[in-house]
Amino acid sequence: MTTTTVELDQVHAIAQEVFAAMVDGDLGLLLPWDGALPALDDAIVAWVDLHGEWSGRAVLVTERSTAEDLARALLGLGDDEAVSPADLDDAFGEIANVVGGNLKSLLPNPGTLGLPQVGAEVPPVAGAVRAQHLPLSWRGRLLVVDVWVNLGGTSTTSTTGGTR
Amino acid sequence: MRALVIDDSRTMRRIVAGTLEGLGFETLQAEHGQEALDHLEAGEQVDLACIDWNMPVMDGLTFVTKVRANPQWRNVTLMMVTTESEHGQIVRALAAGAHEYLIKPFTPDAIRDKLDLLGLVPVEEPA
Amino acid sequence: MTLSATSFQLVADLVRRRSAIQLTPGKEYLVESRLLPLARDAGVDLETFVAGLRTARPDVLTEVVEAMTTNETSWFRDGAPYQAMRRTEIPRLVEARRGVGRLRVWSAACSTGQEPYSLAMCLSETLPPAMSAEIVATDLSEQVLERARSARYTQLEVNRGMPAQMLVQHLRRVGTEWEIADELRRMVTFRAHNLLDTPPPGPFDVVFLRNVLIYFDLATKRGILDRVLRVLRPDGVLVLGAAETTLGVHDGWERVTIDRTSVYRPLGAAVTTIPAPREPLAATGTDGPPGTSLPRGPLTAHRTGHHAGTPPTAVRPTGGAAR
Repeated sequence: MTTTTVELDQVHAIAQEVFAAMVDGDLGLLLPWDGALPALDDAIVAWVDLHGEWSGRAVLVTERSTAEDLARALLGLGDDEAVSPADLDDAFGEIANVVGGNLKSLLPNPGTLGLPQVGAEVPPVAGAVRAQHLPLSWRGRLLVVDVWVNLGGTSTTSTTGGTR
Repeated sequence: MRALVIDDSRTMRRIVAGTLEGLGFETLQAEHGQEALDHLEAGEQVDLACIDWNMPVMDGLTFVTKVRANPQWRNVTLMMVTTESEHGQIVRALAAGAHEYLIKPFTPDAIRDKLDLLGLVPVEEPA
Repeated sequence: MTLSATSFQLVADLVRRRSAIQLTPGKEYLVESRLLPLARDAGVDLETFVAGLRTARPDVLTEVVEAMTTNETSWFRDGAPYQAMRRTEIPRLVEARRGVGRLRVWSAACSTGQEPYSLAMCLSETLPPAMSAEIVATDLSEQVLERARSARYTQLEVNRGMPAQMLVQHLRRVGTEWEIADELRRMVTFRAHNLLDTPPPGPFDVVFLRNVLIYFDLATKRGILDRVLRVLRPDGVLVLGAAETTLGVHDGWERVTIDRTSVYRPLGAAVTTIPAPREPLAATGTDGPPGTSLPRGPLTAHRTGHHAGTPPTAVRPTGGAAR
């Protein structure tokens, strides 16, 4: 019943490459999450919409403090340096953008990519199912990559304007 | 040598500019193709442009096309830096006149490799 | 746990001496994550482990260097040798082999395949229609050969040194990866080989033996170059790594400068007749794995869905047969 859109191991491979290249410099730091998923105290979500043969949304979810450390790693900031809210949104959003962009290029025909957006929770996508759910451990902290697919054929719409 | 980093993500601009500066480049930044053209039209000397594809106002492919249409800017090396990685997209960019193509995500070493291919490595690496 | 600056510097110096690779400040986390497993195996904490490197045995040092060396495998490595092939050597050899109709190439430290496939790309673009090429690609490790035979590379791997023009011409996308075109794959045969053994059957017109001699002591280098000389045509060409030379190692070669690089041709038609003795492995002073299988970090060992959480097992010099 589910259309084959992207495979789980492809999502995993993309996430690993993004982190190895831009965050960690080492493949061994992004691993599958082992065990039950803890509740996230202060979750932050970044997503990007994909339109092509199928419409969907790539979503990253993690705790705010983890996202801040991700931003520090991306921006080359020290462990104690403050991350401004704007920097946080831009950096975390950019990770979603690169992950989403690579997922999009798995689509048979060149699709389009929306602007990355960041918030406390992702708006629901009408008619979409969660096609892939990838809980990962980054340096021991939870980071989830979800791929939602809209089977109805109507494109996903973003409910908040996303600007960089 | 001077590089123009064109991307609508401030994070990505900082990453690319940071790597290029580490390799001895002076850098300028632009948020989209039109802003980048403004730099060129203002007479800024640019040896290398690193160009994202998907940007508001003017996308990277359009920017490449416009630069290559202007003989004044024939010495600007154009390298796409983008998540667009379908075979057909890379062909389109090269056909439009891009000299090189770097797929995101990339490592600093990969940028250096591309600069070697383009003959754009500065004489001496800063200490 | 943060590695002290002194310890980081110790590791950085070691790696630079052994591999010419620079570990710049900012890579402390990388050093920690790669050496922690080694320290754990040794039953000590990281600082103690690193401090112990000052007096460690050669094989421990080798292990550390291997764990730290990042993926240096790139396409058309160093550029200039491939340009020299295109502009000078291939045309020269094509002319000389018109009657034969074929060039034979040996890529003698082929690792995960970037070198032989880079050669295949060059040859496919420069050979005239009537000429074909056969590339024999060898490496010590079956594991890397399996990867090489699959001819598939991740986006991170194709970003390293591959001109975009070559990428679109000679590879196609398969899922998240890129695969070498069939007609190029058909040019290459991969097989396991130890450089200390008799070479694959020659004669060859071209031998690429790049960045592997550095692991051997002088006598072993000489033996290897002897064996290469025996399977190389008198008018053939040997290409070494960017910082390598036969000068002071083996006097059977003539160095030829082509643009910004050097290649080596057999001196006159002289071939040494001294049989090269089978060298014992792990001779004192040997500080790397025999044969090939250059140290690689986890980045090259990665395949879709099969990532390694720890660095690949190092090939250790042992007193007996090669692995």
